[in-house]
Amino acid sequence: MPDQTPTDMPSSQSMLKVEALSHRVDLGDDTLTILQEVSFDIARGESVAIVGRSGSGKTTLLGLLAGLDSPSSGRVVLDGEEISALGEDERAALRARRVGFVFQSFQLLPALSALENVMLPLELAGHEAPEAQATELLERVGLGQRLRHTPRQLSGGEQQRVAIARAFASNPAVLFADEPTGNLDNRTGKTISDLLMALNQEQGTTLVMVTHDEQLAQRCQRRLSIDAGRVTEPEEQH
Amino acid sequence: MAVTGQLASVRRDLRERDVRVVITALVVAVATVATISLFASLLQRALVTSASAFLAADRQLEAEHGRPIPPDWYQEANRRGISTASMVEFSTMVFGGDRFQLVAVKAVSDAYPLRGQIEMQVGEGAERELVSRGPRPGEVWLNPRLMRLLALDMGDSLEVGNQALTVSGLLLREPDGGFSMAALAPRIMMHADDVPATGVVREGSRVEYVALFAGEEPELEAFHRWLEPQFHPSHEWKSVQDGETLSRSLQRAERFLLLGGSLAVLLAAVAVAVASREYALGQRDTVALLKTLGLRGGAISRLYLRRLALWGVAGCAGGLLLALPIYYGLAQVLSEVLERPVAAELDWRALLPALVTALVALFGFAYPPVRRLRQVAAMRVLRSEPGESGRRAWPDILLAGLAVFGLVWFYAGELAMVTALLGGVAALLAVLALVAWLMVLGLRHLRGGGTAWRLALVALYRHRQSTLSQVSVFAMTIMLACTLILVRSSLLDDWQAQLPENAPNHFLINIAPEKVDAVADFWEQRGHPLAQLYPMVRGRLTELNGQPVKEAVSKDERINALNRELNLTWMSELPADNALVQGQWFEAGARDGVSVEYELAERLGLKIGDRLGFTIGSDTLSETVTSIRTVQWESMQPNFYMAFPPDGQLAAMPSTWITSFYLPTSEKALLNDFARAFPTVSVLEVDHIIERIRAIVQQVTQAVEAILALILAAALVVMAAVVSATLRDRQREGALLRTLGGQQRLLVRSTMLEFALLGLVAGILGALAAEAAVWALQLRMFEGEFQWHWSVMLPVPLVSAALLSLFGRWQLAPVLKVSPMLLLRRLE
Ligand SMILES: Nc1ncnc2c1ncn2[C@@H]1O[C@H](COP(=O)(O)OP(=O)(O)OP(=O)(O)O)[C@@H](O)[C@H]1O
Ligand SMILES: [Mg+2]
Repeated sequence: MPDQTPTDMPSSQSMLKVEALSHRVDLGDDTLTILQEVSFDIARGESVAIVGRSGSGKTTLLGLLAGLDSPSSGRVVLDGEEISALGEDERAALRARRVGFVFQSFQLLPALSALENVMLPLELAGHEAPEAQATELLERVGLGQRLRHTPRQLSGGEQQRVAIARAFASNPAVLFADEPTGNLDNRTGKTISDLLMALNQEQGTTLVMVTHDEQLAQRCQRRLSIDAGRVTEPEEQH
Repeated sequence: MAVTGQLASVRRDLRERDVRVVITALVVAVATVATISLFASLLQRALVTSASAFLAADRQLEAEHGRPIPPDWYQEANRRGISTASMVEFSTMVFGGDRFQLVAVKAVSDAYPLRGQIEMQVGEGAERELVSRGPRPGEVWLNPRLMRLLALDMGDSLEVGNQALTVSGLLLREPDGGFSMAALAPRIMMHADDVPATGVVREGSRVEYVALFAGEEPELEAFHRWLEPQFHPSHEWKSVQDGETLSRSLQRAERFLLLGGSLAVLLAAVAVAVASREYALGQRDTVALLKTLGLRGGAISRLYLRRLALWGVAGCAGGLLLALPIYYGLAQVLSEVLERPVAAELDWRALLPALVTALVALFGFAYPPVRRLRQVAAMRVLRSEPGESGRRAWPDILLAGLAVFGLVWFYAGELAMVTALLGGVAALLAVLALVAWLMVLGLRHLRGGGTAWRLALVALYRHRQSTLSQVSVFAMTIMLACTLILVRSSLLDDWQAQLPENAPNHFLINIAPEKVDAVADFWEQRGHPLAQLYPMVRGRLTELNGQPVKEAVSKDERINALNRELNLTWMSELPADNALVQGQWFEAGARDGVSVEYELAERLGLKIGDRLGFTIGSDTLSETVTSIRTVQWESMQPNFYMAFPPDGQLAAMPSTWITSFYLPTSEKALLNDFARAFPTVSVLEVDHIIERIRAIVQQVTQAVEAILALILAAALVVMAAVVSATLRDRQREGALLRTLGGQQRLLVRSTMLEFALLGLVAGILGALAAEAAVWALQLRMFEGEFQWHWSVMLPVPLVSAALLSLFGRWQLAPVLKVSPMLLLRRLE
């Protein structure tokens, strides 16, 4: 059983440690190697942009980092815990405490109001006052007037703001975002990235973000390029 | 080519979940309704045949007062494809083994019996046989008791009038062994051709001629219409429906089947409505897209209408394909139960209700939400519209309500049943609205937590829209199923109560008033005390308020009671199983007045204060109606249409006494002692009839159980369909919850809890609504007294909670299988 509180305060400054991570999928008579022996470190509080051509394996990598899937081989250590060695449920428990998500297609539950959507992770984590916390966050993202509206009644940008509020609701150590501005126009995209970066600063969150948006990538402290299953780190970024 | 094109498009539609659910619901509906009505019509035929055996035919024509039935009536019947047989019944003295004995003779033609079989033995120790013919000319079969009374053996000779006949069998049971009051003496059966030679039957002697007819129902009806104008008052036309005890049981069974069918219809409607609503909701984006591409509202309506029609065809075809094997299976079971083959013909008329159900379900329930699709704004492509407003759904609900009403009415044909059922449903919906309101109020302040309990409660609130519709559907389904279970058990209890183990199975008739005490002593000493003895005077009802009764009563009322002599009695106390409906029972010492049986009073239109005139032998008697009472005709106790006060005029008329009592088969030998001690008293043995009735009730019971099982299966399918209707949403939600850190175990537990709570609430509501519906039904149709059915109702919420939580677990399986990765890959 994973403990309620992180007992092992990480000795290193490393938030995410990836060692020789490979991912292959079976295509019947063939195997497709999506990631090959990928290794890198992401420090606490760092913001990292993962870039690369479409189909290069960015989403796959993000899924592995967050423990949504298990790798074919290699290790992923998140905040001192080796998630690639954990079972489904333990990974889920870890996510509940440590991880936030923002998706390209928002992924709000259509039946729930904005408020209820944000409350969802708080309820899962057994938060004391989920409603108050959620309201506060929604106000923070500028949707204080739209608490009771359902996703259908919100524009794409507004939906993504709700999603960001939801991602930060559980006070995550790491925030993963997969093309958070991919479905939005430039202006709205800018608002969203501003919000993301600001909240990230305020909460001291580690940010790992897949993006095609060059401007957004620029605002991250570090950039990882992925190509043909291998990760390279352009020298000039450091 | 057009057909293959349409098939292809059905196949394409089938890839959509909601379409699959709609079509499945239709298939289940058509299959259930078709199976039930096919089976009901088969059962009807089987039971009528079975019951027809009570007449040894489908119809009997009786002619009293020694008038033979004109031969051209037989010829006409034969011309119409109806088979005929004839018999003659009379009483006479027979001589055999140096003794004389009064017997009741039944002389039968070759074709007797047309329905049913005779049970006989060719000798005391021989095998019991079921045969489809009577004795051959020159032979005679005797009641075993008579055989012993006369000390005869097989092959001995028995003289009937001038004719000697050879004893060739023991008559154990005749199919038409009902008790008419003429058949008092021990029975012998001989061939009709021997009757003239006996010289016993002459013009005007007390002989009853009976013609037997068997054939198809429409022909029999037509023949009856042809025959009726030629009837003489002494003619009595008998059909199975007139047999009292059995026809009552049959009517109830038939009502039960109809009720079952109506419930199936309702269930189907619910399933179709749920699924098609889901479908319509899912189609909105497509419609918006089509509109953007330039399709107009009318074209869109036509497009979806054509789809619905295709689904209807697919659903009907699938349903029938499913129904037929089930039907043949049931027919097989029925044949085994009845111990004789039942022709499992396909009665195409019985399929009509199924097809009508499919049509109405489709166009009354599936069409309205689909029709509203044309109102979807093209703008939707760009931005989702807010959810549908409830107000727009009102016409749909009205239409659906009307459709259900019409459908159930069409199916059950009884306004009382329709009203009771739909009243129950309406009451249920009203309660649901209240509960919904309370639930939302109560759950609003609940906030989640890590425990499965809190999560389940929060989820109930979170899904309040679908929670409400699911509770409604489950509660309705449970209500319908419970109603059926309750009606079934009260039906079976009724039948059980009607013929308890030791129901009287022998009648003693013709007891002279001075022998009453001696007869009572005889049975008292042998451990079978007689419960109650009634005096009996035979008389006709001839006048009503000073007018001849046949004129006073409208012509189209055929009332058997007017055609024959009635048994009149006098009594001081109202028998325990009778109940006063109107008026006052006789006070002590009353001399005037008459108490009339309720149904007869209804048919004759009698009221308290009407004056009735009776002809008794050469005397007449006139009395005022002082009370109207119900009688338990099924009880096998002596029952009377007319009862007079003990100190009145009737008590002065010459009378005989009658009683009934229970005698086990093992002690039937006592009847011989009795016959020797009281030769003038007639013993009527009805134990065989009771056995037959029991056997038939057993068959009906099994059929009822089979139908019940079928409906319960349909109810399960409906529930499963409803649960899985939310699958798409739940899949997405499950993936999201797991991404956000929900553990599988927690998800499983909270989902099961959520559904268990749903089931509990739905179970309680459904059970209560079922009680209400049963109360209404019982009041109107099944004539029982209402009581709470705790033993049935208490487990219902628990069972439904358990069942639904299993359903919840079952539909969670695919949710758990979906990898959270799907969210990253744009699961929309
Ligand atoms: N389960 C799978 N089965 C087969 N192929 C897969 C599977 N998962 C990923 N792939 C393939 O792996 C490659 C990488 O996919 P991934 O979604 O990670 O790319 P991406 O970099 O996120 O692309 P995009 O920028 O278009 O989102 C693609 O070619 C994809 O088709
Ligand atoms: Mg991607």
